[in-house]
Amino acid sequence: MTRPVSRPAIVWAIVRKDAREYSRDRLWLVLTTVGLVMFVALFWLLPSSVDETIRVGVYPADLADSLKGLGASGAEGGQGLEVVSFASPEALRAAVAGEGGADGGASGGDVAAGLAFPADFTARAARDETSDVTVYVGGNVPAEVRGAMESAVREIAAVTAAAAAGEDPASAVPVRQRTAVLGPDLAGRQVTPQERMRPLLAYFVLVMESLVLASLIAVEIQRRTVIALMATPARVSDILTAKVLLGTALAFSQAVILLALTRSFGAGWSLLLAGTLLGAVIATGTALLSGSAGKDFIGTLFLGMALLIPLAIPAVTALLPGATATWIKVLPTWGVIEVMVGVTSYGKSWPELWAPLGLAAVWCAVILVSGLAVLRRKVGTL
Amino acid sequence: MSASRILQVLRKDLRLGPRSPIFLFAVILPFVMTFVVQVAFSGLLEPAPRLGIVDRGGSQLTADAQQLPGIAVDVVGSEATLRQKVEANALDAGLVLEPGFDAALRAGQRPALPFYIGGESLASNRVILAVTTLDLVRAVEGKPEPANVVIDDLGAETLPLSARLVPLIVMYALIMAGVFLTAFAVVDEREKRTLDALLVTPVRLSEVLLAKAIMGFVIAVAMALVTLALNGALDASPVGLLLSVAVAALVSTAIGLVFATGARNVQMLFALTKGTGFLILGPVIFYLFPDWPQWVAKIFPTYWIIDPIYRLAIQGDALADVWWELLIALVIAGALGAVVVTLARRMQGKLAVE
Repeated sequence: MTRPVSRPAIVWAIVRKDAREYSRDRLWLVLTTVGLVMFVALFWLLPSSVDETIRVGVYPADLADSLKGLGASGAEGGQGLEVVSFASPEALRAAVAGEGGADGGASGGDVAAGLAFPADFTARAARDETSDVTVYVGGNVPAEVRGAMESAVREIAAVTAAAAAGEDPASAVPVRQRTAVLGPDLAGRQVTPQERMRPLLAYFVLVMESLVLASLIAVEIQRRTVIALMATPARVSDILTAKVLLGTALAFSQAVILLALTRSFGAGWSLLLAGTLLGAVIATGTALLSGSAGKDFIGTLFLGMALLIPLAIPAVTALLPGATATWIKVLPTWGVIEVMVGVTSYGKSWPELWAPLGLAAVWCAVILVSGLAVLRRKVGTL
Repeated sequence: MSASRILQVLRKDLRLGPRSPIFLFAVILPFVMTFVVQVAFSGLLEPAPRLGIVDRGGSQLTADAQQLPGIAVDVVGSEATLRQKVEANALDAGLVLEPGFDAALRAGQRPALPFYIGGESLASNRVILAVTTLDLVRAVEGKPEPANVVIDDLGAETLPLSARLVPLIVMYALIMAGVFLTAFAVVDEREKRTLDALLVTPVRLSEVLLAKAIMGFVIAVAMALVTLALNGALDASPVGLLLSVAVAALVSTAIGLVFATGARNVQMLFALTKGTGFLILGPVIFYLFPDWPQWVAKIFPTYWIIDPIYRLAIQGDALADVWWELLIALVIAGALGAVVVTLARRMQGKLAVE
């Protein structure tokens, strides 16, 4: 007499078997744990803010306003430039050189560059005489900042000379500059390196879990334990369902842990969860493909990487500024990454992200069906 | 030990090696790493200002702008494209120069200068580009400079992040080819039991190991040099650099042989490589953070193989400055060689009873 067993019970039994096998594989267990800890640590090691300000010292103090005016011409409210006045050129030089305790700084602290005008600079400008101006720069100041400081000195000199001659300083500028900010102005609230890196880290976690599942499948095929399973009431569809459920659960849970530990869940949590779930299914589908085709451990690993590296491109491009090329938008993971970036970096909502989410769902179905077909075929040939 | 037998095994490995996924990894990795590390991470942490120019009249300003150090200038075909690129944050700012801009400027007519700023551009980059543009305009105007600027450089110059990342990429190339490829070549043969077949021929285990090591060494040298070339760091001191890379490949290969003789299977080798990754890669982290106490890096044995390469390729030092570091690296290689001999004897014993 045998008690009839329901299909969900069979699937659940296979899931439990696979989960036990996973927990016994020390290599993957250690790598998964270490990887997760490392990714979270890397996230928190990255800068959590964007330093958009160049701190510049100036002597004498009465020229500080001219420099601030230049800063305001570049960014609204002069956010890009912080001007500190100094009581003497020596104090300014010491501050730039990073020699602590420099006297005379209006607000103290190190400055990236210092503009030391002669004390009688304004008077000389009024007499139309050329002055020597020293620009102090620190060792780690990039070339573009050095160049901009030289330019700033010449601009201040020109404007000061015009003002001394009784002209309107604005009309001393030889062009009629029409400035327009294109796109949402993020000055002062830029996307931080941490936020840019988050999708890539989430992708790494999905990759790791994809490789784990691929390895489990490959081992099952190589050892032919799948044939033993077929001798039980389990059907091929039960085995496949169990693999998909376990793979998705593993990848999804790890990615959610990473996102939680990197404080990613805010207003758009449901959208982020949906995107992550689709990412986990894509990772599982990829694992089914590589696990079925790999002949051994390294072969499976290589096939998995060969599939997963191109899929990482959208996550890598999220690090870079600029528009995403059309061919990248065609990649299966683009939708998932777009949702992650949209929710965590720009606070986008469901109506704004339905298109990438829909595309990701379509890709999910395609990869999963392909993976299942390949694995079913492989099992059938054993 | 027979040179001809070693050569025969080596020839077989070089013929069959390219079929292995690890071989492909070792060759492709430097290219992928260079792209990821230099393009993505360097740009992420040190974003340089990017200026787009639509020049409808062949202005001198465009030519001057292209000579500016530290600013990436992109000459764009149309204003619509420029606006699109600026809005998409592909450029920080963009300006449009109408025909006759230079002549109007010199005639004191104050020509219009549309200046577009990207909403996602850093405020500091906006200031740099705005001030620099004004200076370029004044240079075209041709009036005498109102001030003589004297630059006083204070403190030692810090190398850009792109240069400090080179050791990381070179080290990866050495690990993949010198360590992993060498070790995998042995462990794979052991796991597939083709090593047993080899050892029933007159070939000895020591000859097999040496052949694998030579293959790993040659590929490690080649890939390290390719990596340096890809990163534009192969120009300085070619002889010294070749010697340093050879010593680094020697130590890497010796580590690979330790793993090869210590690991029972590929999984164990994978775990060994991952587990010791921190020890091997440790010193390269210190180049990224010059403020950290640099003496700590010297504790890691691999410091002595990567520092000569860094000093010769990036800092422009001469071979005479790094010879003692190379000497320490050779001592480390010797010590690793002794470990390999012990482990190889143990392996020989195990193979006999397996």
